[in-house]
Amino acid sequence: MMQEVAAAAPDPLAAIKNPDLSLVQDSSAAQHLGGLVEKIFFRTGGQNPVAVNTDGLFLMIFWFSVFFFILLMALMVYWVIKYRRRPGVPAEPSPSHNGPLEILWTVVPSSAMILMFIFGFDGYMHKVVAPTNAIQLNVTGFKWDWKIKYPGGEQTTYRTSLGTKKGGVKIFVIPEDTPIKLVMTSNDVVHSFWVPDFRTKMDLYPNRFSTYTFHTEKLEPDELYRDHWIFCAEYCGNSHSEMYGIFRVVPRSDYNDVLNDWNAGSMTPVQMGEMLYKSNCISCHTTDGSPNIGPSWKNLFGYERAISGGTTVLADENYVLESVWYPTKKIAAGYEGQTMTNFSGILDQDQVAAIVAYMKTLSDKGGAPEGESTGGEDAGTNEEPMQDSTGG
Amino acid sequence: MTAIDTTHTQKHHDEGSYLDHRGLGFWGTIWDWASTVDHKKIGVMYLFAVLTMFFIGGVAGLAVRAELWEPMRTAEDGTTTGVLLNFGTPVQDPDTGEWIRSYDISPGQAGNTYNRTFTLHGAVMIFMFIVPAIPAALGNFFLPIMIGAKDVAFPKLNLFSWYVYVFGSLFGVIGLILGGADTGWTFYTPYSIQTDADYWRVTLMVLAAFILGFSSILTGLNFIVTTHKLRAPGMGWFDMPLFVWATYATSIIQVLATPVIGITLLLLIFERVFRIGIFDASMGGDPVLYQHFFWFYSHPVVYVMILHGIGIISELLTVHGRKHIFGYRAIAFSSLGIAGVSFLIWGHHLFAAMSPIAAMVFSALTFIVAVPTAIKVFNWIATLYKSSIAINTPMLYGLGFLFLFSIGGLTGLPLATLSTDLHLHDSYFVVAHFHYVMMGGTVIAFLGGLHHWWPKMFGRMYNEKAAMLGFALVFIGFNVTFFTQFFLGTQGMPRRYASYVDDFQTLHQISTVGSWILAIGLFIHLFTFLHSLFAGPKAPPNLWGGLSLEWEAESPPCAHNFHHEPLIKHGPYDYESVVPPHCSEEDFPLPKQRS
Repeated sequence: MMQEVAAAAPDPLAAIKNPDLSLVQDSSAAQHLGGLVEKIFFRTGGQNPVAVNTDGLFLMIFWFSVFFFILLMALMVYWVIKYRRRPGVPAEPSPSHNGPLEILWTVVPSSAMILMFIFGFDGYMHKVVAPTNAIQLNVTGFKWDWKIKYPGGEQTTYRTSLGTKKGGVKIFVIPEDTPIKLVMTSNDVVHSFWVPDFRTKMDLYPNRFSTYTFHTEKLEPDELYRDHWIFCAEYCGNSHSEMYGIFRVVPRSDYNDVLNDWNAGSMTPVQMGEMLYKSNCISCHTTDGSPNIGPSWKNLFGYERAISGGTTVLADENYVLESVWYPTKKIAAGYEGQTMTNFSGILDQDQVAAIVAYMKTLSDKGGAPEGESTGGEDAGTNEEPMQDSTGG
Repeated sequence: MTAIDTTHTQKHHDEGSYLDHRGLGFWGTIWDWASTVDHKKIGVMYLFAVLTMFFIGGVAGLAVRAELWEPMRTAEDGTTTGVLLNFGTPVQDPDTGEWIRSYDISPGQAGNTYNRTFTLHGAVMIFMFIVPAIPAALGNFFLPIMIGAKDVAFPKLNLFSWYVYVFGSLFGVIGLILGGADTGWTFYTPYSIQTDADYWRVTLMVLAAFILGFSSILTGLNFIVTTHKLRAPGMGWFDMPLFVWATYATSIIQVLATPVIGITLLLLIFERVFRIGIFDASMGGDPVLYQHFFWFYSHPVVYVMILHGIGIISELLTVHGRKHIFGYRAIAFSSLGIAGVSFLIWGHHLFAAMSPIAAMVFSALTFIVAVPTAIKVFNWIATLYKSSIAINTPMLYGLGFLFLFSIGGLTGLPLATLSTDLHLHDSYFVVAHFHYVMMGGTVIAFLGGLHHWWPKMFGRMYNEKAAMLGFALVFIGFNVTFFTQFFLGTQGMPRRYASYVDDFQTLHQISTVGSWILAIGLFIHLFTFLHSLFAGPKAPPNLWGGLSLEWEAESPPCAHNFHHEPLIKHGPYDYESVVPPHCSEEDFPLPKQRS
């Protein structure tokens, strides 16, 4: 049985774990960021160097466009009024060419284009080439959630509920005033990791790593944390618009405490399984029987379950392993048309075993619960030895 | 003076025109149209087909905007709110056995209907409406007439192209009836390989696009040969109306680029059906390869859409301004230049998926195409100088085009710029940009062309006041719908989202209201045109005072367009020295000669 550890002192990270979002545009920090036009376009001015640079270039192009657009439209309207047709009055003769004018209106736009290209390329290189002291975060996108592995192997356990999908949205804590480098890949289809506040995105592919970098902002003295949306920006199926994440920028000292808080340490299989569930499975499977994209795990393990095609199968360890590694082999009845992500190569047998241990605690037929402090795969007394039915 | 027999008057309305079906009876008329090789009848059939597709795609677009009125939310207990479109499959609840909608089992399904709807919107609008619209409807009708020919070079091939279009659309409609695809009109892999694995829907939609491509290729081929070979004696290349130049440039792109999408879509079908693995990472293939293949066509095709619209604008501003175009050769050559450069810049659709070197090259090349496009806009505005502008619906659409296309073109600049594109790519900013150029550009030009040439095509005039009201609502509605989307994009709203965080709701609601205003404007046009066909007054052959050859023909034209082969004695824009055919100098006075 899991023992409750009585809290002797208030959790020092309680403020950081707060599920309430602190988006900068709602805070006092936003007031001095950017002018009116920046606020209209971006909600707040850029908060870090890359964002400031991107906004500056965008506004340069914007004012250039506004100037010439107004000029052209004013001429158009003026001439439509001045030269409107009057009965019996012919149009005056006019030239059909004007060399100097045509050269001018070729050279001026061309020069502007060259400038835009140069500034754009320069800004882009700052986004894709990371400084050598950047902290590297390994990002994996999959339908329909993000997973980020920190340098020490830690993964977030913090979530906030936005009412957008079951299981809530992960909060990824990062330190202030630090260069961060994202190295990203996908487990299935194309995704794209967009942080609008940082004005950058890159696509995620299953057969490569992609990367970009940013330098986090310095927080105000009284700010506990500042949140930034992460949106998936490449269409990836049913819950593409629910694939949110939060980057939470915290003071440097708090960052290390958070990593310690997340650190796996020694975990029982059930604890490991629950952690793996929360990292990989929670976006599609519930544990309390309520409906979601995939079947709930409540009372799953140990029961006969109906699969499409009309037959049934016993939900034992091998069924779970096969479902995790080769999800299309058997589809649960009622879930035809859903494609579960393929986790072979991502979750190895040890990890699947931990998941099984956790699943057993959710089922009436799960057998005796796993021991608290004995490690290893101590199966319950009424289970058969796991056979490898998946065979290559 | 041209050798047109002016004794043929419009005494009996359709008598002697291509629409004349006296003596044929009902089935005779049907057979006459089904077997026609007359480019005018084929153009009219295309016109009604593409307008039907525009309607279907438009309804889907309205549905998309309606869904976005309110974000979807799922409570912890699984109940979802804010879902408007849900045509999920009925399934039996595994626990209770009762029949419920699939999204009540799995809330993720709530987005699925939306995803199918925006896919329908994009696929129908691109493949079945906007690519064929101006070329196959107006191009077919007017290219031969404008160069003084009786028909296109290969009339039977023209009819065959029409049936290929019908056949391809049929596959698309079947796919839609079966539930459509949820891949987006771009069918990106690996998603398009994996989704709907046990259905044929995606394969049918892709097959439809593949077949439709042949209609484009054959039509383009026909037009190129027609332009080279069938110009009336005396009409050199630089005596052609700019609409003909535009048709020519468009046709070149169609012939060269469409085969690439054909092969790409075929490979995609083979990938799904035979698992060849070319785009599938798990089999050693590459998803990015698909994107390069896809956009290698799909970028030039947007110039198919706009170049032809540009040709219409050159006609609208000159005829209704009674003035020559400023910079004829600049516009003619820039059309060809844009057609050529358009093949070099496809990578700007995937800056977020390529190496820095590739991104740099494509960004630089993309800026090149902006210059000839800007020059065209300057030429048109200069055309207005010292003209004689009639404020009517075609002219309003021409001016509206200048406004909307300028915004569309200018908003392409931050997308060509690499560092801003990494923010704006796949956001609503892109959605706004392409609607401004495709709808604010091509569709506005198309509507202008329809209002300009409708009296010529059908011999009936529409109600001008109603048409102007339609224009006003279309213009206002379009801007309200899509201008807000620029801000949605810069503020962080991604595209293809069925739902969103609360911050974006106000802008989404404004955009949705705009879509209703736009729809009302379009419906006004629909009713105005239909009304004109049944009860509109007869149109004289040259009510606008145009100088290109279609205005010498009758309204509607006779079966072979002209009674005698036209003699070319003046250019298409010689408004300073030529009284328009069928018109009097009183109505269309010439300027006094300069001494």
